[in-house]
Amino acid sequence: MSIVTDSPVHSSSSSDDFIAYLDDALDAGSPNSSSSDEEAENGDEFESVRVKRQKVEITEEIEGSTSEGTMGLNLEASVEGECTHPGSFGDMCIRCGQKLDGESGTTFGYIHKGLRLHDEEISRLRNTDVKNLLCRKKLYLVLDLDHTLLNSTHLAHLSSEEVHLLTQADSLGDVSNGSLFKLEHMHMMTKLRPSVRTFLKEANEMFEMYIYTMGDRPYALEMAKLLDPRGEYFNAKVISRDDGTQKHQKGLDVLLGQESAVLILDDTEHVWMEHKDNLILMERYHFFGSSCRQFNLNCKSLSESKSDEDETDGALARVLNVLKQVHCTFFDKLEEDLVDRDVRKVLSSVRSEVLSGCVIVFSRILHSALPALKKMAERMGATCLTELDPSVTHVVATDAGTEKSRWAVKEKKFLVHPRWIEAANYFWQKQPEENFVVKKMQ
Amino acid sequence: MFFHIVLERNMQLHPRYFGRNLRDNLVAKLMKDVEGTCSGRHGFVVAVTGIENVGKGLIRDGTGFVTFPVKYQCVVFRPFKGEILEAVVTMVNKMGFFAEAGPVQIFVSNHLIPDDMEFQSGDMPNYTTSDGSVKIQKDSEVRLKIIGTRVDATEIFCIGTIKDDFLGVINDPVAI
Repeated sequence: MSIVTDSPVHSSSSSDDFIAYLDDALDAGSPNSSSSDEEAENGDEFESVRVKRQKVEITEEIEGSTSEGTMGLNLEASVEGECTHPGSFGDMCIRCGQKLDGESGTTFGYIHKGLRLHDEEISRLRNTDVKNLLCRKKLYLVLDLDHTLLNSTHLAHLSSEEVHLLTQADSLGDVSNGSLFKLEHMHMMTKLRPSVRTFLKEANEMFEMYIYTMGDRPYALEMAKLLDPRGEYFNAKVISRDDGTQKHQKGLDVLLGQESAVLILDDTEHVWMEHKDNLILMERYHFFGSSCRQFNLNCKSLSESKSDEDETDGALARVLNVLKQVHCTFFDKLEEDLVDRDVRKVLSSVRSEVLSGCVIVFSRILHSALPALKKMAERMGATCLTELDPSVTHVVATDAGTEKSRWAVKEKKFLVHPRWIEAANYFWQKQPEENFVVKKMQ
Repeated sequence: MFFHIVLERNMQLHPRYFGRNLRDNLVAKLMKDVEGTCSGRHGFVVAVTGIENVGKGLIRDGTGFVTFPVKYQCVVFRPFKGEILEAVVTMVNKMGFFAEAGPVQIFVSNHLIPDDMEFQSGDMPNYTTSDGSVKIQKDSEVRLKIIGTRVDATEIFCIGTIKDDFLGVINDPVAI
């Protein structure tokens, strides 16, 4: 490149050279680049640098903000120990800045775009975080969105009986008081489950909460804005299906918390195959008709029957009591060190008190449903027998005419429909047997 | 670091813009196309400051569009490894904090935060020294050193550190 002072057009090549030279010079001063072998090379670089600098001063076109002092950057490579590369941001190691092309580690895109952490760093963070939380008497709570905290439907799927809801939607300006929202840009309507805001407020005192949904990220973030307009609960804690590591499965690997301190609230069991012990199964919230149809239920949904779940006694209120009980047992009643306690054990012990003392015999239950029903009853503390004997307290049947059913009536034992067990599972309480009477099959 | 350089670009113009206002339309289109974009070599184009030269237009074969080579002066911003920058903190979490210096996103991991600063979670998560004298939280201004940059099509990511001398929170005398 020659110095052409009278050219009408200032070429950009001199600025390119300056950029390249700056890159080299500043690079030479940083810890990873130069080693002692390259001392000589750096000397040469500075020779050519000095020449270029003269050219720059002559042409007087560059107005960089660097001073000459920066040229004398320390060449000494302050060698730190080998960097363990705990993670990467935009493919650069977050500790030494080196380019990493690795596929190792897990992506934490929900915290910030481009963030990846490697396994040792993840375990280190998990340990420190758990200690921190336990000291503040908090556990982790992972919440599902659809059918657990809210119910959404496409505007196109609204049935004729629900169309009137379009005019009843609450305003999006002040979200904290509404529960029915119309999201035009997503062509959706969303109804929050009754008492969800009280639930979130009280759960926040006992848990650090995360949202984990099988919806995509834009949907998840919109819902988080409706549930948490001030960003107090779910800031950078919204995990969508784009963040999960497995298809069609949810996992706790993207959570920076120990599995022994996590509780999960979800209406679907099969997505949590690896973490069934942490799961509290919720009854599904079917507000819109499309939701009932999605699960092949032939009943009318809540909106079609112009009703809604009870505010004070709905599913969320009940589950909140269970959470309070587990929290209380974990922190006040266990005796081991905080870090050795396991919330899964507490959960199963609380669950086993629901039907404790009940001795159950099954009669005329669908063969394929029997093992699951039996397991459900046993997890809740009931004892299941196959033959009648005086200790039996409940006979669970679908037909009041079977031999075992008639025996139950004769011996003044409880004769209930299998739904009594399922209700106990959802309500976490033994339900009045009178509500689950079995009819005779004709 | 900011640079004031001359760049060249070929602008295509639809014949509907020809006429008295051809040059103005060209300049407006250039500004719309180029301001806010990013390239690996030059970094972010912050603003176009002037037009050096507009070359002769060439009609493209097959379409009626005309291509003008335009040389323009602009201010560009490009972060360099080793550079010291001031940035505003946007998010603080247990892994470190994210800061922004204009269009550039910088991440400072907790490995590169001085050991005496501890993470405090809560409503306003922050990093605080043991005596509470220095606090880094959202919207704080920090002086940091860039130790790595990576340029994407539309964004520049950087890794930063505040573990060296004179780096860290910039004391704001106006604050209470």
